[in-house]
Amino acid sequence: MAVRKSITAMTVAEKTAFTNAMRQLKTTSVNGRNYNWYIDQHVLYFSRTSDNISHAHQSPSFFPWHREYMRLLELDLQTVSGNANLFLPYWDWTGSASPFTADFLGAITNGSVSSGNFSPSWGWSLYRSSIQTSFLQRRVGQSASRPTAATVTNIQSYQVYDQSPWNSTVSNSYRNRGEIELHNRVHNYVGGHMATREAPNDPVFWLHHCNIDRLWWLWQSSRGIDTYQPRTGFTAGVVDNTEAMRPFGNGRTPSAVRDITLLGYSYA
Amino acid sequence: MAKTNRRDVLRYGAAGAVTAATAVVAGQELASAEPPPGAGDPKNPLGGLKNVLDPRDFDEVFKGKKIRGLHNQRGRNELTINNRRLALTEISTLFVPADGSPPYVGVGWISALNHYDPVEIDSSRNREGLRKLARKVVDILGDYELADGAADEHGH
Ligand SMILES: [Cu+2]
Repeated sequence: MAVRKSITAMTVAEKTAFTNAMRQLKTTSVNGRNYNWYIDQHVLYFSRTSDNISHAHQSPSFFPWHREYMRLLELDLQTVSGNANLFLPYWDWTGSASPFTADFLGAITNGSVSSGNFSPSWGWSLYRSSIQTSFLQRRVGQSASRPTAATVTNIQSYQVYDQSPWNSTVSNSYRNRGEIELHNRVHNYVGGHMATREAPNDPVFWLHHCNIDRLWWLWQSSRGIDTYQPRTGFTAGVVDNTEAMRPFGNGRTPSAVRDITLLGYSYA
Repeated sequence: MAKTNRRDVLRYGAAGAVTAATAVVAGQELASAEPPPGAGDPKNPLGGLKNVLDPRDFDEVFKGKKIRGLHNQRGRNELTINNRRLALTEISTLFVPADGSPPYVGVGWISALNHYDPVEIDSSRNREGLRKLARKVVDILGDYELADGAADEHGH
């Protein structure tokens, strides 16, 4: 049972355990996956796949797809490290605490992460980078600012989970407003590889998405856990509540991941 | 084939404004009265293309990188950075202006590099979209070049 903590609540030992497990998964396969499998899935499922469905982004399944994606990573990190308490931390980017420190994700935020944690010499390699470099790139704050607490409050106040046409044009939609104004914006705030299709090359991807998942869970806690839309099995081009999300397989539906207590984790 | 010809036209045609302007006229005529692409008329340097040279096309240096943008018909625009191609995908999306003005729905380009930050295509409220996109991508690249994978198409 993982208890996902804020980066502000982590001990140095917990930070070290997390970064070491990430590095191990880079070079070790467990449960049939390694770290680069996650990058492959992100690149593949960003687009419409052969079923003509957008599974991961710009569609209602944005939240549940990433919830399942992160659950698998957390499981793999626990397996590879042999530490059943290992957890994905969340980064509340409205606060002042930064994950970009020497003892955590690396302190360089204005270009190549060329030394320290998540540099090549530390043992981090890039995969499918669309930038020709072996160094993880970050350009924190150069092209976008962070969402404020007021923006988060505004997004959390949307009452409709999602609605037709179920894409990135919907205005009155908790999912689309959260995806664009919180999720996209933080990708752009970090910049470098986080701005790219292969964003999971930067470990901060998980800390950011963990916070997004936490916000969805908070939203569910006040609006209802079973509130995913669309409900029926016949909406063209999107994943319905009881339809399996690729690549996660049979039974891995939005409905199946709606309750995090049944998925074995909680937020502290 | 068509793309190569199109590029050659720009390379030679853009050498001087007069030449480029002439080519635009020629291209427009071709676009209206033309056989389908692939017709190999030796008297026609555009090689059967429907494309016209567009005054918004650019071929210039930005922060030390050569950026080149071609506006083709039917939205098949092309962008290269130091001669390496970047595939563009058009999406309809909500734009939420940073200045607090009301959100609106428009069409933007994303690519492997600006994957979460669509750049609005040219419209009544936006100009020079392709150049803005090129500059944004140069900023993301920093000292580096596009990798081959950036040219891979993907749908949305
Ligand atoms: Cu993301």
